[in-house]
Amino acid sequence: MRRLLLIGDIKMQKKIAMVLPLLLSLLALTACVSHRADWAPPLQHPADAGLTKRPPICTDCHKAKDENFNWQRFNHDPYFGDNHRQQASQSRVCNMCHQQSYCNDCHATRVELKPSDKDQTATYRRTPHRGDWLARHRIEGSLDPTSCIRCHRNPKTSATCVPCHG
Amino acid sequence: MKSRHSTARVALLAGLALVAGIPATLTAAEIRLQSDTLVRGMARDTGTGKNQTVAPGYEYLQIDAGQLNEKGVSFHSYGWGRFDFADDQFFEDRSEGELLYGYLQYADPATGLDLRVGRQNIVAGVGNDAIDGLQLSSDLGPWFVVSAYGGQPVGYDASAGRTGDSIYGGRLGVHQGQYGEVGASYKMLDNNDITVEKTLGLDLALFLPADISFYGFSSRNLESKGWAEHSYELRIPVAAVNFRPYFGQYDYAHYFGTGVNTVNPFRALAISGEKLRVVGLDTTVKVSDAVDLGVKLKGNDYDQMNASRYASGFAAWHAADLTTVGVEIGYMKGDLDRQKYLLTRVFGYLDGVAGPGFISGDLVWARYDQPIYGRDNSLFVSLGTGRTFLEKALELKLSGDYSRDPYFNSDVRGLLAVTYRYDHKL
Repeated sequence: MRRLLLIGDIKMQKKIAMVLPLLLSLLALTACVSHRADWAPPLQHPADAGLTKRPPICTDCHKAKDENFNWQRFNHDPYFGDNHRQQASQSRVCNMCHQQSYCNDCHATRVELKPSDKDQTATYRRTPHRGDWLARHRIEGSLDPTSCIRCHRNPKTSATCVPCHG
Repeated sequence: MKSRHSTARVALLAGLALVAGIPATLTAAEIRLQSDTLVRGMARDTGTGKNQTVAPGYEYLQIDAGQLNEKGVSFHSYGWGRFDFADDQFFEDRSEGELLYGYLQYADPATGLDLRVGRQNIVAGVGNDAIDGLQLSSDLGPWFVVSAYGGQPVGYDASAGRTGDSIYGGRLGVHQGQYGEVGASYKMLDNNDITVEKTLGLDLALFLPADISFYGFSSRNLESKGWAEHSYELRIPVAAVNFRPYFGQYDYAHYFGTGVNTVNPFRALAISGEKLRVVGLDTTVKVSDAVDLGVKLKGNDYDQMNASRYASGFAAWHAADLTTVGVEIGYMKGDLDRQKYLLTRVFGYLDGVAGPGFISGDLVWARYDQPIYGRDNSLFVSLGTGRTFLEKALELKLSGDYSRDPYFNSDVRGLLAVTYRYDHKL
């Protein structure tokens, strides 16, 4: 009986250890929501800002950095699609122009169509896996596989790898 | 097992309780819908020894409702489904689909609080997953930002069900608009009661004089007790030229080693003992509003393999709207002949054709130093056209592509895409 009680205690301790950080965060947030930041980006970029269909260069209008934000890091230069990992952590800025579905073209739990197939006519985008990728990934994957696992990490997202890689 | 289940349940209940306590001021509510219907056509040998037509139809549906133009309560969902009209042998299942996200969101107008309940994507330092659960993020005063999440990971629901699956974590950041941000993050992911990921992350963004920025990210695998990754980069603008030197270091044992759940091909990499160091430089030049140039240089060095190098150049000319013509050429030089290739791409997009129309084109040609399945080059050509109707509410796109590569002798595919957008203020 004592052993059962001990097991029960361990389970309870594990449960508390897992849930406690979340609850503490909830409490902290609840306590602190009245302490807002000095500035937060709006939900959507102002529609009258004259944005064109082309990927934006933020510093055409904004300073490179001001007291609130570093805008320069969000300039969509030709390689932005390759190198936006650091910027994506600031999802509030991304969300001003992009909805989650836009990101899901490439970053999703499970999609069958690679981005260049889903939007085949968007040739102005440097979407990954275009053209002969199936052949080329044998080379790219052997030389630098670190970017593969960022997307194909779990059983669902690696479903496209499994037929050949087991 | 029950305890893990309880994590997701507690997270969901806490979230629902919080949402229920929010004053639902659904002013200026609206509903938006976007439907993307895609029909593909191609021929495949499905094991019968002769080519058969495969004609899958895809439907991507996005629904957003509530306060979409201002902070408040809103609902967002997006998913896809597929049905193979012509043949049921190419796909494992004739019909398939996935809900990519479906969550209720509360963004507090007066504070930085953002609360989401349901299926959603989380991006918080080392956390980059789809979860069924709760996510909270908020500014804590002018200097701190915090996010916390908990629930069940979506990517593991096909692996022996969802019993014993849980994920939770968060990120705490300290920021100052002019100088940058430093953050620490944590993630714990269990699949079937077995820990898959237990990771600590540190991220850094420093804004230096002369508009130079320094970014970094390190992650430590707390299960295998080793640093998995260090990635650091500078952004240096000099007039119209932007330099991005970067460095990365990866220890495969800790980077790919995610317990017994590691999926292939990464399981083999985790036990290889390899370490990779990446050094590179991306340079972009904005010659004018109409012309962009770019150069990429990258070097990989390993503990076990011999070094590899990659170099590429890019040039694009832009005109009105999305009109673009560009060219890209790159060469990968691995240690072995089978790790070397030349890649070229020429692409074009002519916007505003006959008003709201466009024409697109793409050509990718690659040459491999060592033939792959008997072929030492590949060709991919794509042509497309489309236009919008009904004040951009309806868009039709038709495209076809041809490829001849190590996997396909002569492959022709077609795609018809119909996009419909609906927006209604309630």
